[in-house]
Amino acid sequence: MEQIIPYSEQFSVYLKDESRTVGHAQSISFPKSESDVIAQLSDCSRQNIPVTIQGARTGLAAAAVPFGGHILNLSMMKQVLALRQENGQFFLTVEPGLTLLECNQMLSNRRLATAAFSAASLAALDEMEGKSYFFAPDPTETTCTIGGMAACNASGARSFLYGPTRNHITALRVVLANGETLSLRRGQAVARHRKLHLTTEQGTNYALSLPQYRMPNTKNASGYYIKDNLDAIDLFLGSDGTLGVITALELKLTLLPASIFGISFFFAAEETALRFADTVRHQMPGLASVEYFDEAALSLLRRQKETGTAFSALPAIAKEDLCCVYLELHSDTPEENMEKMKRLGQWMEYCGGDQSRTWVARNESDLSLLHFFRHAVPESANQIIDERKKQYPLITKLGADMSVPDDRLFDVVHLYRTTLASAQLESATWGHLGNNHLHVNILPRNEDDYRAGKALYLQWAKAVSAMGGAVSAEHGVGKIKAPFLSLMYGPDAIEEMRQLKLTLDPQSILGNGNLFPSARKETWK
Amino acid sequence: MNLIVCMKQVPSSNEVRMDPKTKTIIRDAKSAVLNPFDRSALEVAVQLKEQLGGHITALSMGIADTARLLEEAISCGADEAMLLSDRAFAGADTLATSYALSLGVKEIGNYHLILCGKMAVDGDTAQIGPELAETLGIPHITDVTQIVFASEKELIVSRKTDGGRQLVQVTLPALLTVVKEIAQPRLPSISSILRANKTPCTIRNAQNLSADTSRTGLAGSPTQVVKTFTPPPKKAGVRLSTEPAQAAREIAALFEEVK
Amino acid sequence: MISIDSALCRGCGLCVKACAQQALSIENKKALCKESCTLCGICIDACPFGALSFPQKDKAKDLSAYRGIWVVAQCLEGKLLPVSLELVGKARQLADEKHVLLSAVLLSAPSEALAQELIFAGADQVLLLSTAPSQMEEEEELAFRLLAREIAQRKPEIVLFGATLFGRSIAPRLAAHLQTGLTADCTELSIDPQQGLLLQTRPAFGGNLMATIATASARPQMATVRSGIFPLPPKDLSRIGQQVLLPALPKKKTKLHILESHRETGCASIASAPLLVVAGKGIGTKKNMKLVHQFAQLSGAQVGVSRPLVEAGWADYSQQVGQTGFTVRPKLLLSLGVSGAIQHLAGIMGAETIIAVNTDPDAPIFQAADYCIEADCMAVLEELIQIYKI
Repeated sequence: MEQIIPYSEQFSVYLKDESRTVGHAQSISFPKSESDVIAQLSDCSRQNIPVTIQGARTGLAAAAVPFGGHILNLSMMKQVLALRQENGQFFLTVEPGLTLLECNQMLSNRRLATAAFSAASLAALDEMEGKSYFFAPDPTETTCTIGGMAACNASGARSFLYGPTRNHITALRVVLANGETLSLRRGQAVARHRKLHLTTEQGTNYALSLPQYRMPNTKNASGYYIKDNLDAIDLFLGSDGTLGVITALELKLTLLPASIFGISFFFAAEETALRFADTVRHQMPGLASVEYFDEAALSLLRRQKETGTAFSALPAIAKEDLCCVYLELHSDTPEENMEKMKRLGQWMEYCGGDQSRTWVARNESDLSLLHFFRHAVPESANQIIDERKKQYPLITKLGADMSVPDDRLFDVVHLYRTTLASAQLESATWGHLGNNHLHVNILPRNEDDYRAGKALYLQWAKAVSAMGGAVSAEHGVGKIKAPFLSLMYGPDAIEEMRQLKLTLDPQSILGNGNLFPSARKETWK
Repeated sequence: MNLIVCMKQVPSSNEVRMDPKTKTIIRDAKSAVLNPFDRSALEVAVQLKEQLGGHITALSMGIADTARLLEEAISCGADEAMLLSDRAFAGADTLATSYALSLGVKEIGNYHLILCGKMAVDGDTAQIGPELAETLGIPHITDVTQIVFASEKELIVSRKTDGGRQLVQVTLPALLTVVKEIAQPRLPSISSILRANKTPCTIRNAQNLSADTSRTGLAGSPTQVVKTFTPPPKKAGVRLSTEPAQAAREIAALFEEVK
Repeated sequence: MISIDSALCRGCGLCVKACAQQALSIENKKALCKESCTLCGICIDACPFGALSFPQKDKAKDLSAYRGIWVVAQCLEGKLLPVSLELVGKARQLADEKHVLLSAVLLSAPSEALAQELIFAGADQVLLLSTAPSQMEEEEELAFRLLAREIAQRKPEIVLFGATLFGRSIAPRLAAHLQTGLTADCTELSIDPQQGLLLQTRPAFGGNLMATIATASARPQMATVRSGIFPLPPKDLSRIGQQVLLPALPKKKTKLHILESHRETGCASIASAPLLVVAGKGIGTKKNMKLVHQFAQLSGAQVGVSRPLVEAGWADYSQQVGQTGFTVRPKLLLSLGVSGAIQHLAGIMGAETIIAVNTDPDAPIFQAADYCIEADCMAVLEELIQIYKI
């Protein structure tokens, strides 16, 4: 069995994630199998030691940052366990530590690690011959683990078409805090209204009272996924590591579209761009993503292109182009995409744009150039903050991850623009316009800006909740956004969530500080 | 300035993968693309045209399907395209290819400058540019990194050399091969794609060009592949630990030995 | 197109499966080859019945007037390039097998010392200009005119060039001028025992195959070779050879003028680095390049990368290791997440010891490595950095 190792300086990287929050811990382990997880978790449970579950630490909400106790790092559990075919659909079972990049690379060249495969899995692999599949959720950071994606119900640009991670997971194995295991398959354990019964493989019964709140009708990764007749799987997906440890996931694979076009549409005014995006998102089938870059985001890129050698490969953006809508079209044939492209060009002109102000990527290398363009925006923002941090060490980037219902898109953009202008804050905005889910990033120039930005952020969380939106649409709540979750659902709902958690994890050892303040009576020393 | 850009169709991914189980090539749906070096050459041509005015012709030799990619070249800024396609051109090595291309250049006629990518990513030979220049009897400059001055009479360019770089002046007509970094190729726009759809690619065969077929295709190729083989594996290496911390210690020990 | 012997073909379709160009099909139970065939030859190996072969051409005309092997020796700042000496060493073996003279053509201002160095390395004679401008070594046009004149007169059977920027500019121009074949970037040269032809082997077809190429019907047979492919020959001070002075080149009006020449050193520092860390796509993201550089700095190594990283813009071309980048010969090479296309492997052949880290047990890099670690390269790298930090 893999051992629990006392924490020492050499493990310092495991104290932080991409939110750049730094925590502390007393021990760490790197289980290699479910039985390792069970043994280690039982150990911690017996001694009442809090446990923080970790994957690749690429999260932006500090859910994997330990605030004391033990770190259960799953990155060594990356076996591909099985492949199954059912009615022409393929399902791949993997361990949680496999990264998205590894998974999709294996699928794209059909070189699955088959060491753990049964004869049936190998036979299914043969049936895949000649077709290309992928795991569709696409968070920007592809080195994230599949387990991490499940824990925060990650999505990404293409979730406009494919939906978030939860839509692509059909079965889970979960180890509960006491070391008992659940094997969940979609459709097999379903709540009656808000009562859910679960039985572990060891025979323990749990009767769960699900909270009464209604989730917003938007892209959402805020708190437990709750609705009438909930499928038990959906409770664990997006639970931010607070209910159990996922040790295996069955992924529903998606057939790679035969033709992908990526088109950047440049506009001279934000309003025109929004009108165009709002028109096409409802009328054009097969749009995989509807993304936006505002004037400040494009300025960041222009500056990068002039100065940074790493970004010199960026295409040049014309002076008159002030903002950009990026659409990705997934179709069965290039001809179909050409037709759609023509129609989009007409719509652009109709909305007041100029279709010669577009970039069309029709092959892999051009597409990767546009993806590089997309990735360069947050990287540039981070660079600017890192630079400013040298003078003002306390500041960080303040990135919003809020979504609202479709009919509130123009309202929320108006809110962002007016409040940012009156607070005189620097910002850059990009993200998933199709889902009314913009990442408005405040870029503080000093500590006063930082404080003002935080206040503004809180103001937005309130306003977005009032619009029926979500305070975290895709990054998860983790520790950083826990205060906003309470704003969104109110204290009663938080208490219900806490009670739900305590039913499955009575000592509250898992994921302390995620979603809501720790449910533990005393903090562990 | 009248410009000709030579372009080649290459597989979109240079990494052709073998299926370890069946030992056959994994065929993916990825289609052919324009050689990225040639796209940079086209971008240089487009920028020269923006500066001096003129006309750009994209020229390629290949199977009929290549016309699709030449259409893409038009969408990226070429005014027209010519494809040399004939069974008699098939199986050509670089010498036979440069002969055929020279006929295409003469067919287009009246040019100041020919631009080629430094090399194609599938063959890596980097021979077509100088061979074409010699066949046409015009000077060539390889590995050009920057156009410093341009007119219809002469160019001054900066090029990479084994010792560093040179500034070279050349009287036109001439041929340049350019490095990929010389220019970031622009992406086509919806309107330029629609325009390209309406611009037919000129197709010429050996007869149209009055080609001497003993100099084209396989017949005109002095080099011939006599054998292909998978390289023999070296003796098996020592397997070290798969556990990162242990592996790292073993690597560190090997580094220490060398020091 | 590939020749198909329909008497032997059973229509099994294995060749169709093997072909990456989709140039083969089965019609009327026999294989049929289309124009998109690139003559890569994969199908020839795939056919269990021996029904496929390279097309044969008419046999060559009389080429017996061509004799002897030439190496074009390039200089930089008055010194011979290592690749020229490496070529002389290899050509010595070829000349001994064929029992012919080995000549080196010295492209520099006349120099007794350099000529002697070529003789000590294995040349039987050195051809050099009696008078030549001092910038001769940089003047491609002069080199071209000299070689064109001398090859036409002296008729060597084989001419070898270093695959330097200079060699790759003048060799193809000469090949077109002489209407002969040229094979770029050979990794092996040998003599065909039957016909005495030069067999030129190079990676082909995306690097999954090696192709052996011959120039049967034209002379001279020409090839270029990258530096570091062949070993430097020992300096044999007992060797004697002849120096042949060539008449000066007549003045000619030229259309090309070198206005300025700048030395830039250090651009090939990875080529001579004793310790090298080479990163491939397996490192995952561009961000991880930082960690690669951090480790390199801690351990005193230089950083090289595989070609996909240069193409993705994660690193500069000056860091590209492989046949189209730099050939390297470090004492120790740590390869992180490189799968190992043939061109890459050709570029690291000269390394004394190779340690490869890759998650894919079938990665070709493991076949070239002395030490194989089947693990996530970033996990190993993070651990390595920890070790070096202490």
